[in-house]
Amino acid sequence: GSGPPPEKKRWLRAYLEMQRLQAPPQRRSEQPNWDYHAEIQAFSHRLQENFSLDLLKTAFVNSCYIESEEARRRELGVDKDAVALSLQDNTGLAEQGLRFARAYLTRCFEGAYPNLPARGVEALVNFLTGQELVSFVAQNLSIQDLALCRDFPAPPQVLQRTFLAVIGALLESSGSERTGIFVRDFLIPQLIGKDLFEIWEVVNPMGLLVEELTKRNMSAPEPRITRQLGVSTVLPVYFVGLYCDKKILAEGPGETLLAAEEEAARVALRKLYGYTENRRPWDYSKPKQGLAAQKAISSN
Amino acid sequence: RYVRQLQRLQFLFSPTAADARGARQFVEEAAQDFARQHPDVVLYVSPRSGTAPLVRAEYLNGTVREELIASKTSEEIVQLITKLANQSGLDIIRIRKPFHTDNPSVQGQWHPLTNKPSILTVQGPRLQPQ
Repeated sequence: GSGPPPEKKRWLRAYLEMQRLQAPPQRRSEQPNWDYHAEIQAFSHRLQENFSLDLLKTAFVNSCYIESEEARRRELGVDKDAVALSLQDNTGLAEQGLRFARAYLTRCFEGAYPNLPARGVEALVNFLTGQELVSFVAQNLSIQDLALCRDFPAPPQVLQRTFLAVIGALLESSGSERTGIFVRDFLIPQLIGKDLFEIWEVVNPMGLLVEELTKRNMSAPEPRITRQLGVSTVLPVYFVGLYCDKKILAEGPGETLLAAEEEAARVALRKLYGYTENRRPWDYSKPKQGLAAQKAISSN
Repeated sequence: RYVRQLQRLQFLFSPTAADARGARQFVEEAAQDFARQHPDVVLYVSPRSGTAPLVRAEYLNGTVREELIASKTSEEIVQLITKLANQSGLDIIRIRKPFHTDNPSVQGQWHPLTNKPSILTVQGPRLQPQ
């Protein structure tokens, strides 16, 4: 008689599992359970922003995607009329977003660190809008799932462009104030824990310090050894202090006297620019309504 | 600002199996409310016969977490997915220390030369008060 139904082969399950593990990684949009429109709506809610969905969808379309789609359609032999996709690029939005982000960040830093020279502000802004940081932020906001791009995984340049295009789309949908708050909330926290001279490469801190002091009409710094330990050993420590008119400006440690002097110059520059480790943390509070009106009145 | 780390929830269960009853009830009654309260999570429901019902949670940092919902009531499933929605995608391992600070020292970290006077300080005989 008939017993329980015959099983499929015993090795089938192990074989399917092996196939599943060895398959190359695929885009999320090609895996089961994906609804683009719903994902885009969820994206705008996740960022607590009100986007116009058309602009947002345009922001995720990259030019390499359009080219690859047109090439694919041409290869499949579709009509010339149907080949032209009615999709717009995100390059315009990306440029807008980059311009706005740079201008806003420059304004922020000039307001927060008024003593920082233009080169320093530019270095900070370049770091915050650079490829590595922006693509890191974009990865953690799942932009790599939503961006339409030819290669997988999306290269950091594409991610940076897409994030800036999202900023551009927000600028057009919600205006400059909300976009400014968005840029402040997502890019400025990346500066936490970073030192000024990790971001801004200064080759000759002593020369820069002399320039700064002459601008403020203070005399040139005089370096003196303040403390030293283990001079005749393999690991000496020298503390060199910089004195202006016999008053202490800054003190820095180092392994050799030259290294200690350079470090002291860097510490002095940090103090002068107001970028020390114990400075006031960034202000993330909601801007008051009156400020915007004030600015409008003062600009008129 | 707060960004919910849960991206999407996929409910995979069979339309006829007995242990998926709670999942079916949840999808009929409570799923819409949950979706309305959490507009930043995308819910997918798809049928899958022959295997245990489960819910798969995908987080922004790429972690995918699967939880079995076999023989759970609708309320228990709601509790479970609320818990998943409030988690981040970090691995659930032992936390080494429950505290962390970005500014470990306010006045400057102590080093062996902190309170030693500098060698430039001159120490001469005490001046007589006049």
